[in-house]
Amino acid sequence: MTVPPQRSRETPAAPADGPADPPSPFRGLGRSFDAALGRGVGHITRRALGPYQTAIVRIGFATTVLLFLLHEWQHRHVMYGPDAPWGFDLATRHVSGNGALTVLLWSDSTLWFELVYHLVILSCVGLLLGWRTRAMSLLFMVGVLSLQNRSIFLGDGGDNVIHLMAMYLVLTRCGQVWSLDARRARREEREIRENGRPGADPVGIALWAVMGVLLTATLISGELDSGIWTAFFTGMWLVHGFWWLIRRHAPGEPRLVSDIVANVVHNAALLVIMAEVCVIYSTAGWYKIQGSRWQDGTAVYYPMQLDYFNVWPEVTKILVDSGPIIMALTYATVFMQVMFPFTLLNRRAKNILLVLMIGEHIGIAVLLGLPFFSLAMISMDSVFLPPAFLLWLGSRARRVTEPVRRRLRRTPPEPGGAGAAREPERQDRAPAWAK
Amino acid sequence: MLPSDPAPEHDAEHDALRAVRTAYVPTESVRLGALSLPARMIIAVAVGAMAVLTVWHLTMIFLFVAPSNTLSEDYQDTVQGYIYPEFEQNWKLFAPNPLQRQEGLSVRAEVREEDGGTRVTEWLDLGALDVEGIRHNLLPSHTAQNLTRRAWDFYVGSHDENGDPVGQRGELSASFVHRIALMRLGEATDVDLDDVERVQLRSSTARVPSPAWRREDFDTATSYEELDWWVVTTEDLPRGALAQDDEGEQP
Repeated sequence: MTVPPQRSRETPAAPADGPADPPSPFRGLGRSFDAALGRGVGHITRRALGPYQTAIVRIGFATTVLLFLLHEWQHRHVMYGPDAPWGFDLATRHVSGNGALTVLLWSDSTLWFELVYHLVILSCVGLLLGWRTRAMSLLFMVGVLSLQNRSIFLGDGGDNVIHLMAMYLVLTRCGQVWSLDARRARREEREIRENGRPGADPVGIALWAVMGVLLTATLISGELDSGIWTAFFTGMWLVHGFWWLIRRHAPGEPRLVSDIVANVVHNAALLVIMAEVCVIYSTAGWYKIQGSRWQDGTAVYYPMQLDYFNVWPEVTKILVDSGPIIMALTYATVFMQVMFPFTLLNRRAKNILLVLMIGEHIGIAVLLGLPFFSLAMISMDSVFLPPAFLLWLGSRARRVTEPVRRRLRRTPPEPGGAGAAREPERQDRAPAWAK
Repeated sequence: MLPSDPAPEHDAEHDALRAVRTAYVPTESVRLGALSLPARMIIAVAVGAMAVLTVWHLTMIFLFVAPSNTLSEDYQDTVQGYIYPEFEQNWKLFAPNPLQRQEGLSVRAEVREEDGGTRVTEWLDLGALDVEGIRHNLLPSHTAQNLTRRAWDFYVGSHDENGDPVGQRGELSASFVHRIALMRLGEATDVDLDDVERVQLRSSTARVPSPAWRREDFDTATSYEELDWWVVTTEDLPRGALAQDDEGEQP
């Protein structure tokens, strides 16, 4: 929250009879603090902030996990399934000690494993398209946690980021734009205009019923032994039934208040996502400062020499032959990571740094052979992308996919294109941190 | 206490109030002051609760990733109880110093012969197998890049200087690395895993030579360390598709 600079109401008195006291910088502070607080509460209650940013984060992580699972499809049995050296017995003993959530340890049958693995792939597709985003984000979270907690010693930093973001995304309204849900919301608006209330939404009811069956089966089986997860899943399911009911039968204040509470939760989750990015870069940067190899400017040389990260020896050979290049890369890495949270105070500095960070991650993806780690990091960074860029990206994507969309579209576009007309409007109202 | 935009005319306020109570109003255009008292109270509680939760969550994460300090030592149980297992995170990526050792792992097996005796196989370099899957590959698999590497890290981290396992983690990690070795033996050699009685692991470590443009003199020779022989049980063998292949080959 930014407090606007103080503007004194009166011009300072001219120094006529000797030196006048300069105006107090604290004058009116109480009132302007109240006003800022009021504006702040207005911001976080009336809108789910960063619709494009949360959408790109959703699309980014769904794509990352989808590509990862498809790419590892041939290795899935060794990684998470019946052939895993981290066997069912070892994983069970380990997880019974730490209580991590994984449905893969509920049964050691191969069929169950295949079912879960492929359902996670489907949930990635659903989340990517923004189809029933909330339900998909829940399935996605359960899937990601299940796979990772089944084989906890298989992941790297990228998996760690995915693990956290899968949980945070559940609490965000990440399907407000660029999603099938957004299209459905426009249809619903039309229904409200025409009939005074939204349609019955049979698909939503069916999905809610399926989720209810899954939840009941889980609770009856007794496999879900965590009280917190039980409360969370049951709560989410009840909330969605409630949401359907009040939208149809209590369109006034009850719906409005629920909508506002959802906005508040979304905005808190968005803040946590942004803070998490700062924590990640700060931790990485500040610990590096203490390392002798980052100080003497050779640190970047070492990973490039390790067999496990030296993917293109011919290319790294050129880089590591030059002391100044290695030194520059080493120092630039530390500077960027330490600086990142502070650049958020300035829009231009933040955008420049984002470009550099994304560039560095693309370099890491290719040179160190960490494409999925880098994709996860870039997805995470994109929560700070400016709306102007995201809107441009969206219009480009729209133009490219227009022929496909036209074929898929069931309803003709609204006169004037309601979606297109509304989008730039949102950008103007975006808060300063997002521009 | 809730935000007050510039107060509208009385009639307008009355209209707004009626609209809010009966119709579909987008949240963006609503004036919070126009809501009923219970509605405002619910919103205030929600804002307060989310603020507390957010501050709590971020504080826990901060104390978890920060170096050990006054607060994180005093509240260690609270912090760890909250963070583990799902919010665990480690962002000391290549920090404070990047790994400067080339680490390798090899395995050999003691195999039952048909005449009742045993023979010991050659060393199989597990690291070299991984490098085969990584080098010149735009999309290396976790099975090449992370499986053996991280399992060995886990093993080293959960064994003391004498090579004895520390707690349950030590036992689990020992089973884990030996099972990986067995799986690789089955994949990369013609050894029939059902005939393997024992396997032995050998780790190798060599310092990465300093860059050509720097004068740092240290020993870059490779040192080896052999683990004790590990007696193979049926639980150590792959159970899924890999195991079925083995069965399929039998007459």
